[in-house]
This record gives sequence, C-alpha cells and structure tokens, in this order.
Amino acid sequence: MTDIPRPKLEVGPVQMPAHKPVLALLARYGTILGLCLMVVVFSALSPIAFPTLGNGVNVLNQASLAAIIAGGLTIAVIVGELDLSIGFAASMEGVLVTGLIVHGGLPIWLAILIVLGVGALIGLINGLIVTKARVNSVIATLGMGTIIVGLNFAYSSGVPIVAGVPEEFLEISLGRFYGIPHNVIIMAAVLFFLWLMVERTSVGQAIQAVGGNPAAARLSGINVDGIKILGFVASGVCAALTGILLASALGSGTTSAADSYLLTAFAAVFLGSATLRDGEFHVFGTFIGVLIIAVGFNGLAIFGAPTFYQFVFQGAILIVAVGLSSLGRVLSEE
Amino acid sequence: MADELDTGVSQDAPFISVAEIQKTFGGVQALKGVSLDLRAGEVHGLVGANGAGKSTMIRILAGLERPDGGRIELDGQPIVIDSPQTATKLGLSFIHQELALVPRMNALENIMLGAPKQTRLGMLSWSAVTETVKPIADRAGIAFPLDSPISKLSTAERWLVSICRALVRKSRLIVMDEPTASLSVHEVERLFAIVRELSKANVAVLYVSHRLDEIMDLCHRVTVFRDGRSVMQAMRKSLTRRDMVEAIVGGAMQATERGPAAKFDGANVLELRDLHRHPHVRGVSLDLCRGEVLGLGGLVGAGRSELVRILFGADRAEQGSITLEGRPFAPRSPAAAMKAGVAFIPEERRADGLILNKSIAFNFGLANLQRLRVAPSVPLIQMGRRAKLADEMMQQLRVRAPNVDTPVGRLSGGNQQKVLIGKWLSRRPRVLILDEPTRGVDIGARAEIHRLIRNLAAEGVAVIVISSEAEELPEVCDRVLVMAEGRVVKQLTGPEITRNNIVQASYAEHAAPNIAIHA
Repeated sequence: MTDIPRPKLEVGPVQMPAHKPVLALLARYGTILGLCLMVVVFSALSPIAFPTLGNGVNVLNQASLAAIIAGGLTIAVIVGELDLSIGFAASMEGVLVTGLIVHGGLPIWLAILIVLGVGALIGLINGLIVTKARVNSVIATLGMGTIIVGLNFAYSSGVPIVAGVPEEFLEISLGRFYGIPHNVIIMAAVLFFLWLMVERTSVGQAIQAVGGNPAAARLSGINVDGIKILGFVASGVCAALTGILLASALGSGTTSAADSYLLTAFAAVFLGSATLRDGEFHVFGTFIGVLIIAVGFNGLAIFGAPTFYQFVFQGAILIVAVGLSSLGRVLSEE
Repeated sequence: MADELDTGVSQDAPFISVAEIQKTFGGVQALKGVSLDLRAGEVHGLVGANGAGKSTMIRILAGLERPDGGRIELDGQPIVIDSPQTATKLGLSFIHQELALVPRMNALENIMLGAPKQTRLGMLSWSAVTETVKPIADRAGIAFPLDSPISKLSTAERWLVSICRALVRKSRLIVMDEPTASLSVHEVERLFAIVRELSKANVAVLYVSHRLDEIMDLCHRVTVFRDGRSVMQAMRKSLTRRDMVEAIVGGAMQATERGPAAKFDGANVLELRDLHRHPHVRGVSLDLCRGEVLGLGGLVGAGRSELVRILFGADRAEQGSITLEGRPFAPRSPAAAMKAGVAFIPEERRADGLILNKSIAFNFGLANLQRLRVAPSVPLIQMGRRAKLADEMMQQLRVRAPNVDTPVGRLSGGNQQKVLIGKWLSRRPRVLILDEPTRGVDIGARAEIHRLIRNLAAEGVAVIVISSEAEELPEVCDRVLVMAEGRVVKQLTGPEITRNNIVQASYAEHAAPNIAIHA
C-alpha cells in the first residue's frame, strides 16, 4: 500500500468564475430590483404625475385584470402545463356575460355565475384533452382558443354589445369601496385565495408535486390527472372572471377585447418565476410580474409614448422574463 | 487469474495524472485535494463513499466542471479540460449510469454521433460507415445488428454501444461510472470480459463502483477517495477487501450484524394466489407475515419489479387474487394501495420517488398530507408541524443535511433514500415494498438503511425487499424467494439464505414449476 505523495499546492490556470454569485442574486432579486428602479426613475422624471397615491391606485387598478388572469395561468404552469386559450376565452366570456344580461334578460348575478361556470367548463375540457387524450397542452389549448374565437364570432357576429348594458353591471368594475376600486379588492381576494391554495393546502402540495415530478407524485398517491385538470379549471375560471370584469369596465361585450391579456399573463408568470425562487412559478411572483408590466405601461403613458411602444415593451419583457427564469433554474442546479 | 491480468500493463509513467485538485461548490468543499494517475492499459478502480468526491472528479475530467486549483497532466504536459469537446479530443470517454444515448436513433447512429462519417458524393454513406465500425463493434462484443433502435436494446447492450462509441473515437481512457448497477450477473461477466479486452488493447479504464468484489476481481490498481481527498492508491494484489472498506470508512469496520430474528405470529398480512400479468408475471403465489422481511431475488427481468407494481396499484393483475389482512385487495391506483396501507419505494428514486427541487420537508409532507391538516375537514397545512415532523424523521433516520428546507436534489444518494423511506414511515404502512433500496448508496448509509428495515419489521411492518445484489438479501431478509422468468422458483430460509444459493437459483431450469410458498 503506497501513500500518494502530496506535492505542494499549486493553483492551476483555471479559476472559479467570480460572476456566478452576482448572477444568482440578479436572477433572484433582479425583477424586484427592476420594479424599484422603474419606480425611482419614473418618479425622478415625472415627480408631479407619477409618485402620487392616486396614480398608485390607478396602477393597481390597471394591473388588476391582468393579475387575475395571470394568477389562474400560474396554477396551470405550476402543474407543468401551458394554457394558451385564456385570452380568447376571456374575450368570449365578456361578450357572453353582456349578451346574457342584455339579450337574455338574466339577472346580473346569474349571468356572472353561468359565465364563471363556462370558464370552468373550458378548463375542464382543456384538462381532459391534455390528460386523457394526451395532447400536448400547447396544441390543445391553442386549438381550444381558436374554437372559442369562432364561437365568439358566431354568437356576436363580431358586433360589440353596447346598448342596454345596465348601470349595475358597470358598477361592479368601476365602483369604489372607501376609495379603493372594486377590481383591486377582487384581485387581492383572488390572488390571496390562489396563494393560500398553492402554498398552504394539501391540494397545493399536490399541485407543486405534480409540476415537480409527476412520476413521484403518482407514486406518492396523488391523482396526477385530477390535479392537472384542476390547474386548467383554475386557469379557466380566472380567465372568465377577467373577461367579465373587462366587459363591466368597458361597458360592452367586445369580440376581441381581452385577447392581448394572453401575452401579458405569460410575461407576468415568467417574470414571477424569476422572482425570489429560482425559476419556480408561484403566485406572489406573478403578482410582482404584473406590477412590473403595469408600472411600465403607466410610465409609458405618462410620458406620452405612442401606443406601439407598449407592444415593444411587452414583447421585450416577455423575452427578458423567460431568460431570467431559465437563468435562475440553471444557476440553482449548479 | 490476477497474474494474467497484470501482464501487459505498462509500468511506465502514467499517461494522465491529476494532482491536488480542489473544487468548492457554494461554500462546500467537494474536493480538498485529490490525486490520481492512470497508466496506459490499466483497469483502475476508484472507490469511496457517496459524497467522497468521485463524481466531481469525473466531471472535472469530462470538462463539465473547472477545478479551483491543482494540475492535470497528459503525457507530461499540463492541460486544461475546458469542455466535453476537449475531453473527447484528448481521448477521454465517459460512460455514466444514465447512459447518454438518443433513444430514437439506432445503435450505429449513436455510435457515430458527433464523429466524422464517410460520405459518397457528399452524401452520408451508412454502408461505408458500417464497414468501418463493424470490426470495432465486434471488439466491443456487440452481437446485435448495428441498425437496432436504442429503445429496443437492454441496459447491457446500451453499455456495449457506449463502449463502441468510445473505441471509434480512439479513446485512451474510458471512465465507467457504476457500470454494473443495472446489469444482471450474466451481463456483468460479459462486461468484465470486454473490460479485460480493452485493457489488453492498451485502453485504460477508470472503474468507479461501490461493489468491492468487482473491484477485487477486475482492477490492477485501486484509488480510494474519502471526504474529498485521495486517501489510498495501491496495487490491487496488495489489498484485501477489508483494507478497502477501512480506507473508505476511515476506521475499522464492524461486520453487519443480523438483527434479532423476528417472531411471526402466523397471521398473513398479504397472500398472493396465482397472479398473472403477461409477460413478466406468470403465476406467482406467496404469503407474507407481520414483521417479516421477505426478499425477492433473481436476475433483472425476472418479473420482480412487475410483481410489486401490481401490489402497489401501478399495474393490474390479469388473473389471480390478492388478499390484504384477509380482505380481497385489487388496488386500482397507487392512491388506493396507499390508503390500504401499502407503501412503495421505487428503484429509480430520482425519477420516480422524489421531487428534487423541493425541500426535505415538502417531500416528507407529500405522503402525510392528511395528518398535517389543521383539522381533518380543513385542507390547510400546518407548515410548522410539517417542519417539526420532518426534522424528527431526519434525526431518527440520521439524514445528513443542513436542515429540513434543503432541496433533496442536493443530498447524496444514501440520504435521498433515507428521506424516501422516512416519507412513508410515519404513515405506519402495513406492507412496505422497497425496490433496490441501496442501489448507488455508500457502505455506511447502506448499513443504516438495512438497520432501518429490520427495525420496521420488528415493529410489525411486513417488508418486501427486491435486490439484484445477491449479497444484500442475506443481510436483511428472514426469507428469500428467487424468481426467474415470471415465476417463483426457490424459497430460501434461515441458513439457506446465501449469495451462492440465490445466484444458483436465479439460473434455474427454464420450465421450472412454480413452487408452493408458505411462510
């Protein structure tokens, strides 16, 4: 048995790259830092219009609908699926709720309940297609979204439902409670409920497990298909709620009013996954993501930037968000 | 045989030598200074407990990690291996446990992946490629057609494809990481023959394994890593198994003690009668008592994993009956089996058992969601209670981790396995099934896991252990059933439970009848 001779330690030519910890910090706190930076810059550039309580409430109000739809999408992505039908579904549901009230003569509460049910049904169908027919969720929900666009046009003939929308329906979205817009309160309630469900309930543990490792979840006695379907249903119901509130805010059911929420929701969800946790989707992160987008839009509007900048901003932020999210995941694996 | 092995190995200076390599990951020093040198044509064993730094060393040689300090020399010249491409260029090949082959491509395409291929008129000519590869494939012992799709090949055959791939690249060193972990006894012998051939052809093999018998059988020299240092490098001839174990553990090793023989009250917890599921389970009957540890031995593919999948509700029997504590039992899902008190710890713990990016507490909580509720009818989880119970589990099972919030992906194989077992313990299962419980687990953790299994049995749990390592079953089992070709061919009890008897029975005659089994 020979002992290995121990030569004097020589440091070789290779060194541990020093930028890794900085990158890791950036990946975790970059989004929150970016949000703070935006607030500071906008406040400095526009000290009269931007940093006011009124504008703060305004930003939250503008963020509320996107936050609700993105909150639902978060559940779908946590279980490991994508839902591309939400924007189209929300548009259709906005048309449907006004249609049921104006043409169908239904009481407002009943119309809303029915449309929320339609949202759940769409989620259920998406979920069944993905889990039972084993269609990739991107394709399944893209197909479902396109079908919904068709149904929407068939129902409305592409004409917005404007006349005869009752004041009480508008009041849902436009009203305020002690100065706080109803939408902000609804958003807070929805996000809190979703957060509680994911982080603190047994169902939430199952949701996270299914997204983390479906095989292990199944062998832990979790109904993986059921949980995935639940993810789609959550996404569908939240999309319906956003569609209803948007119709209420616009005072009309407009055929493609909510389509653009799809992109906003995805950008927010991915920004959220790059927030605090390394590339993991979570509800609080999504909220931060929505705020970043809302503050960005608000800033652009205050500076009077032409509308097309909003698209540039939103597209860029989606790419940055996914990049940050992957970076976080890569760094956490090393 | 050992002398024959040593011939043909050059006694010259090593062609590759690694000195005082250091590597730190996020504050944890994985390598504190390891040295290793390899001579042309030698089979060099690398052993050490999990977490000793073997994998990190290999990743550095493969160009996947950069060392923080130390030197690597090839033919006396200092080199920097900055990428896997560089490693390939330098003649280093790596075959891992999870073989890196493309399943949808055939064997030949995989062999030639990334290598220059012959062309005719600018078009790839597979016939020309086949002509060049064929002799090399023969040398690697490939007996199947080169156009077989990878998905149709067994694990052993995939190893041969990987070896052939290394030979095509004219590798001077092939690093094999736990090559026999998923091979049957017969396949292991075939692999050994090929490794010896490689050695004769002057290709060095760095053989990384927990199985010391294989190291003793195969290697010319052995290096032992412990806690990120190389603590021993010696000729195999001058070593005993005990020397190696002591170097790995870092002190004298006590023999694994057989736990006290459990007393069986005679009541069967589980009874299987004539269970069939085509093609792997062909009429299995067995009884299992409270507090008994039953081993299932046999070759890979004998139908053992398929049998327990039925018990756990992952698959359904086509014929036959199961009774659990006297009641008919036909679980339609793992959830149903769990509810009935059957727990299953799968073989592929990383793929099927754990959620790697989640914490110990999270993984622990998954099997115990009902118990963690604030109240039975309120689906809220008590996070504090979860952390407390997970912490108790960690203490009880001696899981080595900073705290319960550590992601399980960061733990060593042995500690991951303990978490997986711990996850089920607090549910007090009636029947606990463990498939290859100590695969890829170091010696210390292995003994602890065995003790854990015995303790559980002593508390009245009926345990089924599947192991392809014939040494393992005699260490933990009260009774062993050997399966071959979907049938139970032999029952061993008491002193009959030996490695030799298990291996012998595994190679039973083809038409062996199912034997009647009673505890």
